[in-house]
Amino acid sequence: MLAFLRFEWRRIFCVKKNLISLGFIFLFATYFVLSGVDEYRQFFGEKRIFLRYEKEKVSHVVNYSQYGGFGFRILFEAPPLNLFFINSNILQDVESNIDTFEMIEVESSFKGNKLFLKRGYFKDFAGIPLIFGSLFMLYLGHLALISSAYLRFIAGNMSLLKYYIMTTISRFFWMDLFFIALSVGFFYLVGFWGIIFSRQEQSNYFLCLLFQILFLNFFYLLGQLITVLLRFRKIFFFWFFIVWFVCIFLLPEISRISVFNQSQALESAEQVNLEKFRTLMVLEKKFRDYLKENQSVPLDQIQKMQKKFAVQYINSTYLVNTGLESRYLRTVENVIADHERQAILFPTTYYQFMTGEMSGKGYYGYLDFMDYIMQVRNSFIQFYLKKRYEENNAMVESFVKGDENVFHSRSRLPRTYWFGVLATLLYGIIVFILTFRPLKRQVFQP
Amino acid sequence: MDSVGFEVADSEIYFLLSRADWGSDLLFRVLSGTEPISAGAILYDGRPAPDWGKAPPAVFIDRIADAADFETEARLGDWIDFLCAGSGLDRANLFKTLLVCNFHERHLKRKVRDLPPDVFHQVYLAACLAREHGNIVINDFIRGAGKGFELKFNKLLLQKKALGRAILYLGSDIFYASEIADRVGFIKNGCLLFEADAADLKEMDIKDLYLKFLN
Repeated sequence: MLAFLRFEWRRIFCVKKNLISLGFIFLFATYFVLSGVDEYRQFFGEKRIFLRYEKEKVSHVVNYSQYGGFGFRILFEAPPLNLFFINSNILQDVESNIDTFEMIEVESSFKGNKLFLKRGYFKDFAGIPLIFGSLFMLYLGHLALISSAYLRFIAGNMSLLKYYIMTTISRFFWMDLFFIALSVGFFYLVGFWGIIFSRQEQSNYFLCLLFQILFLNFFYLLGQLITVLLRFRKIFFFWFFIVWFVCIFLLPEISRISVFNQSQALESAEQVNLEKFRTLMVLEKKFRDYLKENQSVPLDQIQKMQKKFAVQYINSTYLVNTGLESRYLRTVENVIADHERQAILFPTTYYQFMTGEMSGKGYYGYLDFMDYIMQVRNSFIQFYLKKRYEENNAMVESFVKGDENVFHSRSRLPRTYWFGVLATLLYGIIVFILTFRPLKRQVFQP
Repeated sequence: MDSVGFEVADSEIYFLLSRADWGSDLLFRVLSGTEPISAGAILYDGRPAPDWGKAPPAVFIDRIADAADFETEARLGDWIDFLCAGSGLDRANLFKTLLVCNFHERHLKRKVRDLPPDVFHQVYLAACLAREHGNIVINDFIRGAGKGFELKFNKLLLQKKALGRAILYLGSDIFYASEIADRVGFIKNGCLLFEADAADLKEMDIKDLYLKFLN
């Protein structure tokens, strides 16, 4: 084994073009980590201004009616781990306004420097293994077996199976070591910029790394398979590019189109807003009819009636609308769960899904955010009605006491993580076995 | 192939001649156990050949194209280290063969793909012969090689013969056969038609033999 390890070390790390490729991977990784750290720290600058703005805004509000109308904004704060997955986000920088209106909106600002925030495809640390790592591993897989003439010669000295297994293991060892060192190195290096990861984040990151390694090994094995299927011919590079393109771009795009098509079956968000609006209007109409019918009623009587309607609103209309919103959210969740299951089918699609969730701004991050908005909104409505009808003329007290207006998203692994790992492992084993049969045939019966 | 029966004795070079386009590859694959046979038997040292790969019944030296086929991206020295450590080749034996071929150690630092064809053939040969074995089967190894390499190769073969090895050479060059072999067999249309001592061959009409069996 040591002989194989030593030889493969020389074959990989003593070749100029390999070193240049690995150097590029390292440089790109450094750049993306640094820009991730920079964006993460920039966010905290923006967050400080946001919190100050929200605080000052409340101090200028005259009464609770006005406060209910203006409300306050909730900022989406990504977890520290996001800096490695900054472009794998499903959500960009988002916020939501909590007020007494019926619509729940999640918004993204494109004002000022945020206009230039979108980096395009794959441009983050997690994109390095996806694009460059997969390409390099495919290439190394292609080079591993050299030629059928060489293998025939080797088979005269040792078993072909032994050579095939040992070479694969040795190459896995060195390349996995490189990618592990790269990921682990940067993970601890960002600590120098004061970015601390929780225990949960650490464990998620390392599990994500495990999948990443399996994913890269899968591409290596794919490289071997293509080379053998093409009988070591020089047209390899054409097929090599096609296979890589299909795996990295086409299949994830098909998956994206598929989830888009599934989402078309969802009821329009506007329709949900309309339904909620109509429910609210029924109550509003009742109140207007009451006012029309009782025009001579004194003001305090009207205020009492207003309060009664408010209680009625909380007990019926608000609950109905919240129910509508929750039901809608759960249908969205079903589409996401389908998408997740579908993503398991291929390592690339699953890798993209997983990095999205690891960023904290993935699909489940969105669901958490929506749940949080509804929960805060619920508390705010209670707070608002209580203050509005009991102490409307008092000085406005802010609903936000601590950091309720910041949603702390968490980095997570998909629930199907181990299925994803097993599926990728299974694919790898199948490709490994599938390669050996034609390889043996080509070596011994050219 | 049918009716191909012959024996190679110890300390003998047996040259099996066939038409160049018929090719000796199939017979080489059959002998090395990679091509199954439907009938008959191949015996090495009086026993059927064991499983290929586990304990090869002979040293098999196949014809090779050029260094590019062996593009290991490694330097020759590293490659030799790997062969010796990974597959248990005798390092001393390997370098002994290389010495016979006047191999210069500066080549050890070159990449395998950059070796001149003759040097590459020498290294290949040395690697094949590094494993000590009583039987050697060669498939038209010197076809296309330069005269210089041919002479070194002949020297090696004669050395091995002197050590008591049984050597079978598959090829199509009747002149080379008469030069190197002890006995010669002619295969035509898959049948072994004629056998003769190489010494007798010199007294025969080679042109006639060529037209009869190799044309």
